[in-house]
Amino acid sequence: MKFGLIYELSTPRPFTRETQKAVYENAIEQSVLADALGYSTVWCVEHHFLEEYSHASCPEMFLTAVARETQHIRLGFGIATCVPAMHHPIRLAEKAAFLDMLSGGRVEFGTGRSSTWNELGGFNAPVEDTKRSWEEYVRVIPQMWQQERFGYQGTFHQMPERNVLPKPWQDPHPPLWVAVTGQGTELDAADRGMGALILSISDVERNIPRFAAYRDRISRCEPAGAFVNNQIAVANWLFCHPDRDYAWQQGQEMVSTFGYMAGQTVEVSEAYPASNYTALGLLGTLRPDPHAPGQQKPLASGLCFGDPAELIHTVRRWEAAGADHLVFMVQAREIVKHQEVLDSLRLFASEVMPHFSEPKPAQAVGL
Amino acid sequence: MSAQLLYGHRPAADYAGVTTTLEPAGEDLLLPDVQIHYALFELPMVAALDCLPPGLHPAIPAHLGYTFWRCDEGPWGAFECAWVGLACRTGIKPRHLVYGAFASNAVVAAELRRRYGFACQLAEVHYRESYDRLHAKISVAGTTLLEVATTRLQAIVGAGATVKYSPALTTVVLDASTTLVQMEASYSFKRVLRGTPQVLSVNTAALGETRLVPGFPMSGTHALADVVLHAPRFKADLVVPAEQGGARKIS
Repeated sequence: MKFGLIYELSTPRPFTRETQKAVYENAIEQSVLADALGYSTVWCVEHHFLEEYSHASCPEMFLTAVARETQHIRLGFGIATCVPAMHHPIRLAEKAAFLDMLSGGRVEFGTGRSSTWNELGGFNAPVEDTKRSWEEYVRVIPQMWQQERFGYQGTFHQMPERNVLPKPWQDPHPPLWVAVTGQGTELDAADRGMGALILSISDVERNIPRFAAYRDRISRCEPAGAFVNNQIAVANWLFCHPDRDYAWQQGQEMVSTFGYMAGQTVEVSEAYPASNYTALGLLGTLRPDPHAPGQQKPLASGLCFGDPAELIHTVRRWEAAGADHLVFMVQAREIVKHQEVLDSLRLFASEVMPHFSEPKPAQAVGL
Repeated sequence: MSAQLLYGHRPAADYAGVTTTLEPAGEDLLLPDVQIHYALFELPMVAALDCLPPGLHPAIPAHLGYTFWRCDEGPWGAFECAWVGLACRTGIKPRHLVYGAFASNAVVAAELRRRYGFACQLAEVHYRESYDRLHAKISVAGTTLLEVATTRLQAIVGAGATVKYSPALTTVVLDASTTLVQMEASYSFKRVLRGTPQVLSVNTAALGETRLVPGFPMSGTHALADVVLHAPRFKADLVVPAEQGGARKIS
C-alpha cells in the first residue's frame, strides 16, 4: 500500500491575491514535507472556473514547483483534460515529458475528460465528444513520447510527421491513468491497461466488486501505452490526530465544506443531457438522502479520520479490498490550520505508514 | 462554515406579499405522455444573487430554465403549462426557484396552486414539435411573454439516465409563515431529444422578474414521459440555509 496526496487547491472567499498565494504555498509546503516523510505521490487536479472548489487550472505548474523542491515523491497529473477545446494532445505530451525531465522521471500521467458544465460550457467544448476525444488522446500521446517522429490523422486533430520534444525521462514513458468517477469507467481504464484513479468517495465494501472487475479486465487488456499500469489508487480524506474525536470533527467539517463547494458547480447532467454522461459524477456521491434533505448523508465508510490505531484498521480494510494506493485530500478551503495539516501528515507517516509495505515499485516497468 | 459562503441577497421582506397556500394533495397523480420542453440559459451571477433569498445558494454558473408541459389527455384533460425557474441549491441539491407560472386552463392552474403553490396565471401556452424545431410560447391577451425555440434536435440514447430536471421550489404560506416548498414529481422517459435553445422573444417583467434575462444558451430538451405527481414532502426556509437546519419535512 502506498500513500499520496491529491490537491484541488480549493480557495476560500473573498478571493484575494494573498489568499490565493497562501493556498498554493501551503500545498507546496505540505507536498515537500510529504516527500520527506515517504509519501509516494502528489496529484494535482485540473479544473477551470470552479469557484472555491478548485483553483487548480495549471496542475503542471504546481507539480513543477513541487518537483524542484523534492527528491522522491512522484508527480501526478490528476488529470490532464483530454478535451480539444482545452488542450491539444501535443501540448499535453510536451508538458508531461518536460516535467518528467525536470523531475528525473517522476510523472504519473492521469487522463480524463471533465464532468462539469462550468468547464465544458466555458470552453464551448462539444459535450458529446469527450469520450471519443479522450480515446484519441490516450492512443496518440504515448506514441508522441516513444516515436522519434510521429504524425497521425485523427478525428479531432491531425498532424504531419513531427518530433514532439522533449521525450520523457522515464523509459518508455510515464505510467498512464484514468480518472474514475462514474461506475464503469474503471473498466475503460482496465481495457486500455491504465491505472484507475478513483476519485469518487464511497464505501470500502462497495468498491470490492469494482476492484475485482478491474483486475479481471486488465488481465485481458490492449494497452494504450507501452506497458500495463495495473494499479488502483483511491481518493480519500486524511486527518490523523491523537484525539480521535477531534480528528473526526475536523474531518466532517472538511467533508461538509467540500460538499458545499462541489454542490454549487453544475454537473453536465444538470445542464446538458448526453448519453456519455449518464452516470452520476462526484456530486452524486455527495448528495444527502433525498428523504431527509436537511440531514447530512452518513459519511462513507473507510475515510481516514481518526487516531493512528483507527487509521491502521481503516487502511487494512482498503488493502484487503484491493487498493494499491490511497491518495488523500488533506484540506478543504483552508478550514484546517496549515500547521495541523502538517502535524497530521507527520503523525500518519510515523505511526501508520510503517505498518504497510510497498508491494511494487512506483516507476514504469516495460513489458 | 464561514460567513463567506455564497448565498442569495434578496431580502426575505420581498416575499411578504405571498399569499399562496397549500392544500393536501392526496394520492399520487399520473399524467400520461407529457411532452416536456426544458430550455436552459445562463445569466449574470449578480442577477441570480439578487433574485435568490438568503437561504439558498446560487448555482455556478448562474442559469435559468423555462419549462413547458403539454399533456393531451389525462385526469386534468388536455392542457399546457409553463414556468420560469432560477437555478439554485438547497444545501447542495439542485433546485429551480419559480418566478412566474402559467397554465392554459383554470383547472390546471388551480391544481398546480393547490398541490405545489404555483402562483399560476391563466395564459395561452403554445407547445409544438415540428421536424425542424420545438417551439413554445406564452402569451396573455395576445401579448407574447416568452417565445422559445429549440433546434438541431438529436435523439439521446439512454434517455432515462440522462435527463435530470431540477425540482421546482415555490414560495407559499405554510403553517403561518412564508416558506419554500419543493415540487415532487417522478418521470418515466419514453423519448428524449436534445438541441440548441434560442429565445425568440421575452418580456421579463411580465414573466415575473426583470433581472432574469436569458443569456448564453445551455441546452434545450424535448421529452416524452409519464409523470407522477407526488405530495410535497419538504419545505425550506427563506433565510436559514438547509445545511443549518432550514430544510425540514412537511408535517
